[in-house]
Amino acid sequence: MSHLHTHQGAEGTGYAQPSPLASAETLNIPDGLRRQRLPALPRLSEPEVVRHYTWLSTRNFGIDTGFYPLGSCTMKHNPRVNEVIAQLPGIADIHPLQPESHLQGLLCIFYEMQEMLATCSGMDAVTLQPVAGAQGEFTAIRCIQEYHRMIGQDGRTKVIVPDSAHGTNPASAAMAGYEIVEIPSAEDGRLDLEALRTAVGDDTAAMMITNPNTLGIFEPDIAEASQIVHDAGGQMYYDGANFNAILGKTSPGLMGFDAVHYNLHKTFAQPHGGGGPGSGPIGVKKHLVDFLPGPIAKRVPLRKDEPETEVSDAWRYHWWRPSKSIGKVQQWHGNAGAIIRSWAFYRRYGNELETMTEHAVLNANYLRHRITSEAESQGVADSFNDGAPADVVKHEFTLSLAPLKEAKGVGAMDVAKGLLDHGYMAPTVYFPLVVPECVMVEPTETESKEVLDAFAANFVKVLQEDAETLHAAPKSTPVGRVDEVHAARNLWLKHDTEQEE
Amino acid sequence: MVDQLPNLGRESEMLSAMGMESMDELFADIPDEVRMNATLPLPGPQSEEEILADARRLLGANVALSQRVSFLGAGLYRNFVPSAVFQLINRGEFLTAYTPYQPEVSQGMLQAMWEFQSMVADLVGLPISNVSVYDGSTAAAEALTCAVRVHNRKALQKDTVWVSGLIPPDRMSVIHNYTQGGGIEVKTLKHNEDGTLDLASAARASGSCGVYVEQPNPFGILDEGLTGLKEILGENTALIVGVQPTSLGIIEAPGEYGADIVVGEGQPLGSPLTFGGPVYGIFACKEAYLRQMPGRIVGRSVDSKGREAYCLTLSTREQHIRRHRATSNICTNETLIALMGAMHMALLGPEGIRDLAIRNMAACQSLKAQIEDTPRLSLLHPDAAHYNEFAISLPGKAADALRYLDEYGIIGGLDLSTWYSEMTNQLLVCATDQTSSEDIDSLVRHLGHWAKEVKG
Repeated sequence: MSHLHTHQGAEGTGYAQPSPLASAETLNIPDGLRRQRLPALPRLSEPEVVRHYTWLSTRNFGIDTGFYPLGSCTMKHNPRVNEVIAQLPGIADIHPLQPESHLQGLLCIFYEMQEMLATCSGMDAVTLQPVAGAQGEFTAIRCIQEYHRMIGQDGRTKVIVPDSAHGTNPASAAMAGYEIVEIPSAEDGRLDLEALRTAVGDDTAAMMITNPNTLGIFEPDIAEASQIVHDAGGQMYYDGANFNAILGKTSPGLMGFDAVHYNLHKTFAQPHGGGGPGSGPIGVKKHLVDFLPGPIAKRVPLRKDEPETEVSDAWRYHWWRPSKSIGKVQQWHGNAGAIIRSWAFYRRYGNELETMTEHAVLNANYLRHRITSEAESQGVADSFNDGAPADVVKHEFTLSLAPLKEAKGVGAMDVAKGLLDHGYMAPTVYFPLVVPECVMVEPTETESKEVLDAFAANFVKVLQEDAETLHAAPKSTPVGRVDEVHAARNLWLKHDTEQEE
Repeated sequence: MVDQLPNLGRESEMLSAMGMESMDELFADIPDEVRMNATLPLPGPQSEEEILADARRLLGANVALSQRVSFLGAGLYRNFVPSAVFQLINRGEFLTAYTPYQPEVSQGMLQAMWEFQSMVADLVGLPISNVSVYDGSTAAAEALTCAVRVHNRKALQKDTVWVSGLIPPDRMSVIHNYTQGGGIEVKTLKHNEDGTLDLASAARASGSCGVYVEQPNPFGILDEGLTGLKEILGENTALIVGVQPTSLGIIEAPGEYGADIVVGEGQPLGSPLTFGGPVYGIFACKEAYLRQMPGRIVGRSVDSKGREAYCLTLSTREQHIRRHRATSNICTNETLIALMGAMHMALLGPEGIRDLAIRNMAACQSLKAQIEDTPRLSLLHPDAAHYNEFAISLPGKAADALRYLDEYGIIGGLDLSTWYSEMTNQLLVCATDQTSSEDIDSLVRHLGHWAKEVKG
């Protein structure tokens, strides 16, 4: 093990800096605010820092390391030119309080992204401000809340979510002050229209749902569901986590939704960075536009007497602040760095984004088929069921390992750990909650047929391994199975020299 | 596009393995009534080279602060992030990983985040830090809702928090959005003429759930009075202090003067300005707040063989487990930017972060001294100590001064009427470790010249 804090070089070890413009003694720090002891940071030279973090990186699995079939997370390849672009001074060194004349290039890119997202989703306007999917959900729900207040519908206090929804949906609505009504899925994992009809009423503010749902299944009755909610006076909110499955094939607008968030870190290849940053812009239909957080990029034609800019010979870009805006959800204008990367990703596909979707869905169905046929040929087809019956899935699919658990006490988590020993990141497990012993697989469009074939073979191999092996897995990873119960019961949350001894 | 899709051109082979003939069959489950049938009305695909050329042209048209003489801060601060940070952060094992839900193959990021927690906790003087929230504004907002969850039962002022009246409107707006759903009332604390907190009136906040103040405050003032605030508020009211983290190299850690929660905009440690995002929010607290805090936390544990190992812990607070009863809806956070912060701190070391703070404060003080000596310019808070920034009273409109300076290639700072409409003649200027004495001379010369000429 290498610990950062065991590096304790001589006093003064660390990054060498130019001299200050005035000496420390001349600073007028109020006596009571003078720091009494130096921060207890470790003391490392640059070679030690570089080696430490490089070593840590070798103990981490990313998409670059291997196949990452983590359902619901859309772990697609992150094109490297995007990283080059995001470090250009024109994005790295600009400040949101600069005048519009300093920001024409950025405004142009924001405008292009807003227009593209609105076009692909069938919405009327987009704000890029929310910095994560969950924040997008919260922002849109806030817009709906203010809309209802404006039209005298304050009595709408409930938000409906299916029991298979992402956890952020109910959490975001609750943060805005709503009561959550969870409706059960039908037997086949799909939305239960009868349950929805029972749930809606004049207290319904909105329904939050993703389509395809978290089982990877397209909800065929979605238009009718929208109708039911609208008839009750509620709004339809589209959780865009699964947008990679439908882009160019259908849109939330066509399905009857009023608001939607996009996960740029899923669909548009902003790297996940070990947990973030993401970006969660939202799009809305006309009646909600005035409530969006601003500023939003707009453009006007150059007047005859106005000179061309470096950006355009026809347009001048500017900020626009919606009149009844809910205000801000982040201090500045969103995760611009993520938006720039996603713009570069979008430009690669342009009007052929549909091809991306097709390949994501092709890969998911192909892998599902390969796992099934491999299991059949190995005689272990009875170790799992489909999470939901379907002729075709969209970008991901679920399997229930309940039969395997029943037969030999091997659960979804054991299989997940077993896959780690075969060099794969594990799929999502135990989500959605409606599928017992659920394994949720999303290959994305950037995996080759060979990778999918090999994964299917290895997945089936893991199903055949004996229970003892799988309970002890993983064996080949930097550490063995980590004791999460121990971690929660013996909270050790920071470096502490005494505790380490 | 061709270079991104490995199975392009092999569709029929894969389809036929499934007994299908066309891609359309994969989408047969989407009812006709909601099908999009036309090609997306967007421009055609581009190659990497074309994208890069467009990006260079468009982003090149922006005016980067590094290309000008700049005194704009107001919450984001120009800094120098050592080159090693950018090299290391682009390692694909960090860059392209998801949240470390499978700890056995995520030890690298988990340990790095545990080390981040350790360094942040020590810097702010509290026992616990999470692995980041979105930014400084959401950190402040989440701290206030956290304080309500912890203190509301015993609070004399139920569902009430107090916030410094100097907090800029955009940050206040975020606080409003995060607190309104819980029915939390946000009251504002008064300040004295000299820019410090009015401690006498702050006593009114005692018995509420929490109080949010900033050190340095939005006018850059280091307010010594805040060290006595916890005593005024009492045990049952959370003291929440927002910090500029580099200042803590020389300024007392708020934990040492009674802060219960410390939050802040992490950007000055590790991250370029990046137009304000992605940056990262610092969130640290005392143990009493641990189970009500937002965001992810890494714990040190053991593996099946008793070896040291790390994993996410206390997840039962989070949305994926607790759903609508979660402490926050946050899922994706700013881990990679926090990792940049960790690397920056590791490179600096104890003396390095002290020296960085000295450079920031020294630049500010040098600028202040020269402004003070310039005819027709005066300091709004002449008796205060400042870190990074301070407000100048001008003989004319700040907006005019900024336009004038822009003609000379100087980004002069923030027209304070952007925040407070009545402050039309006040300019907030910021100096950091990246400010040179030539920059200062240039601003003082041109602003002095403008002040001399302007009618006022």
